[in-house]
Amino acid sequence: MAASVLIACGLNEQKLPGFVHISEESNVDGSFLISCILGQRLRISNAGTLLVCLQHHYQHYFNAGMRLGYNSNIFLGKTLNVIDVLSDMARQGLNSKWLRSPNGLTLTEQLAEDIRAQLANNYANRSSYTILIDNLSILFNLGASKLQVQQFCQALADLAKEHENLTVITKLSNSDIHQLTDNNVAKLGHVRIQVLRLKSGVFREVDGKLLIERVLDEGRYACEESRKEVLYKVNDRNVKIFNPGEIGVKV
Amino acid sequence: MTSFRKRTVQKPIRGTRTSPHTAQVITSSGNPSLDVILGGGLPIGSICLIEEDRFMTHAKVLAKYFLAEGVLSKQEIFLGSLDDLPAEMLRRLPKPLTDEEVELEQRQEQLASEQPADKNGLRIAFRYGDLPLVNSEQAGHKIGHHFNLMEHMDSMMLYYAQTTVWDDSYKEHDIVVQEDNISNSSNSLDQTATIVADASPAAVDATPPPAAAGENASTVAVDVEIEADAESTAVISSSNNNNNNNDNNTASTTPGTTIAMPATQPPPPPPPPAAAVAPPTAVAPPPPAPSAMEPHFFYNPRYGRLLNDVQQLLRDESFVPGTNTQQKNLCRVCLTSLGSPLWYDDHFAGDLLKFLTILRASVRSCTAVCFITMPMHLIAKYDTSLVPKIRQLVDYSIELESFAGSERETHPAFKEYSGLLHLHKMSALNTLAVHMPETTDLAFKLRRKKFVIEKLHLPPELQETSEKSAAADIMATPNCGSIVSGNSNVSMDF
Repeated sequence: MAASVLIACGLNEQKLPGFVHISEESNVDGSFLISCILGQRLRISNAGTLLVCLQHHYQHYFNAGMRLGYNSNIFLGKTLNVIDVLSDMARQGLNSKWLRSPNGLTLTEQLAEDIRAQLANNYANRSSYTILIDNLSILFNLGASKLQVQQFCQALADLAKEHENLTVITKLSNSDIHQLTDNNVAKLGHVRIQVLRLKSGVFREVDGKLLIERVLDEGRYACEESRKEVLYKVNDRNVKIFNPGEIGVKV
Repeated sequence: MTSFRKRTVQKPIRGTRTSPHTAQVITSSGNPSLDVILGGGLPIGSICLIEEDRFMTHAKVLAKYFLAEGVLSKQEIFLGSLDDLPAEMLRRLPKPLTDEEVELEQRQEQLASEQPADKNGLRIAFRYGDLPLVNSEQAGHKIGHHFNLMEHMDSMMLYYAQTTVWDDSYKEHDIVVQEDNISNSSNSLDQTATIVADASPAAVDATPPPAAAGENASTVAVDVEIEADAESTAVISSSNNNNNNNDNNTASTTPGTTIAMPATQPPPPPPPPAAAVAPPTAVAPPPPAPSAMEPHFFYNPRYGRLLNDVQQLLRDESFVPGTNTQQKNLCRVCLTSLGSPLWYDDHFAGDLLKFLTILRASVRSCTAVCFITMPMHLIAKYDTSLVPKIRQLVDYSIELESFAGSERETHPAFKEYSGLLHLHKMSALNTLAVHMPETTDLAFKLRRKKFVIEKLHLPPELQETSEKSAAADIMATPNCGSIVSGNSNVSMDF
C-alpha cells in the first residue's frame, strides 16, 4: 500500500536514522507520509511509537491508517502512544494546559516534558522507538517563537543521540514561509524530505513532488549528499510513486 | 456459542448522509453545485473557508445557503459576525423550494436553453442530434435542499430553528431594554439578545437602536454597569432553543453586569396564542465564572468571547460523537467576515491564527461543521504570509473572484458569469486521498433565484479579432490547472 513511497524515502527499514525532517510547502498536503511511516512502524513487532497530534486528531490517523490497511487502535496503549494536543484543547477549551502553561512552562517546554515522560515509560520495553510530530507549524500558530521551536527540535535531536534506536520524525507545514526554521531543523538530522507542489499547476495523475535529501557521509571538510526526486499520487487506498518523465500528458 | 451478532445500525444525524466515495458522514452546504465540488457535501468536523469577493455579496449568499440548510434540517445554528447584524441576516434567509417547484424550474431552464437555437434558425448537425445536452452546471444527485434567493424564509420556520447569534454585544455599554410585546411581534428574531430577570419577560436588546425600533415595542434604556475588566464579561447571545429549552427561561445575567430594572415592572404578558408567531423568551446558558473563562490567551478579547460561546455550544451532549442519544444533532457554525478591519489590532495575525487553531480543534471533536467567510484580499494586504497560514488551518479554501468593478465585468468572454471560483485547498479529512472535482476551471453566476457554479466555458467564437486577443490576454495560458498556477512561463514538471 505504502511500501513504494517508503522505499523511495529510504524509510522502509527497521532501523531508521536518528532525525528525519519533512518539509511541506504551502498548498500541498504531505500528511500521507505520516500515515505511511506510522503504519510501517506499527507493523514491526515490539517497536514503540509516540504520535504527537498537532495537525489532526488521532481519529484522522486511525481512519487514514484503515485506508492503508492497518488498524492503529489495536496497538493503541501497547506499542502506540498518543499525545493528542488538539483533542485536549477541544475538551478543556482555553483552560487547556497547552494554552495556559500552568507550571510556568512554555508550550514547547510542556510538550518536550510530556514526550520525555512517555519515553521514560515506554522506551525500555521496546526494541526501537519512533517519535512522530505532526506538525511544528501549529506550535507557531499557538504562539511559540522561532527560538522556542528551534530549541524544542534541538532537545528532540539530543534525545535521539542519547538513546539508541530512537528516531524523531518532524513535519513542518508552510516551509516556504518558515524557511529559516525549516532549514535549521533539517540540519539537525541526516534525512530531509521535501513535499513540493507541481510548479506548472495541477495534474490529475500526479499530486506533487518528493525531494529526498540524505547525508551519506559528513566529513570534516566535505559532506556527501544524495538527492532524489520522485513524483507521487495519493489514491484512496495507496500512494503511487513515479520517476520524473515516467508519466506525461496523453493526447 | 453462536457467532451471530445483532447488527446495530446507528441512526444518522438529521440532514447528513454517508458519502459512498469516502465513507464519511457529510452534510450539504446548502448549495447543490457547491456540494458537487466538495464531493457530496461538507464532511462532519470540517471547516470551509470562503474567501470573500471585494464587495462581499457572493460570499454572503453562500453563507445564507449554509444557514438556510441548517434551519430546514432542524440543526443547531451558531452565527457570529462583527460586520453584519446576525439577526438581520437570519431574517433574510432564502425560501426553500418544494420538489414540484424544483422540477418546474429545471424544466423551464431546459426549455430556455433550447429556445435560442431555434430562434436563430440554427440546427444541430444530424450526427450530434441524439447526444444529450451538455449541462455545465455543477449539480449531481439530490442532496440538501433548493432555495429561492428572491424570497425570504417563512418566519414560522425560523421560529422553530435553534439559533445562537454572536455580535459581540459587549461592545455596547448601554444596552437597551425592550419590553417584548410578544403577542404583537410577528418575527421570532426581533429580539437578538434577551435577559429575563426574576421571571419577568423584560428583554435586553443588544442590537443597535434602529434595528430594534418599531414592531410595536416600547424601549426603555437601562444602565448597565460593566466591570472594568471587559474580558471577564460574557457575551449575551440570543438563542431560540424553543423546542426543548423551555425550562431554561430563567434569569441569567453576567457576573459583571448589573441591570437596574425600572421600579414599575410591567406585568408579565399572557402566554401567546398558539397561532401567534412569536418566540418564547429564551436565553443562552449562563457563562462560566470570569476567572475560569478567559485566561488572557488572546490580546483581543473578542476572540476569547467568540471562542467561549462556540465551545460552550459545542459541549452540548447532542454534539458529542459516538453517543447514541435521541437528540443527536449537528451544529452549523457560521462566522462571516472574520478578520475584517473590525478585528484589527496590534496582534491581529497572532490572535487570528490562535483562534482558528483552537476552533479547528473544537469543530473536529464534535458533530459540527464550520463555514467561515474572510476578506482575504484585505488580509493579504495586511500580511501576505498570513494567507497560506490561514489556508493551512481550514479544510476547504474557496476564493470567489467577482467581476464586479473589474474590466472583466463587461468583457464578452465572461458575459455569462459573475465571477471565477478558485479552489485553493481541498484537504483529506479522515481519509487518505482528497476528492478533486472534474475540473478546477470554475465560474459562478448569481442568477435571480439561485447561485450556480459552472465549468468555465469561453464562447465558441468571439466576434472581433481585437476582442479575441483581449480575451487571450485576460485568460491565463491554457496550461493544466492554469487557475492554480499564475506563473505561465514555468515548464511542466512531468
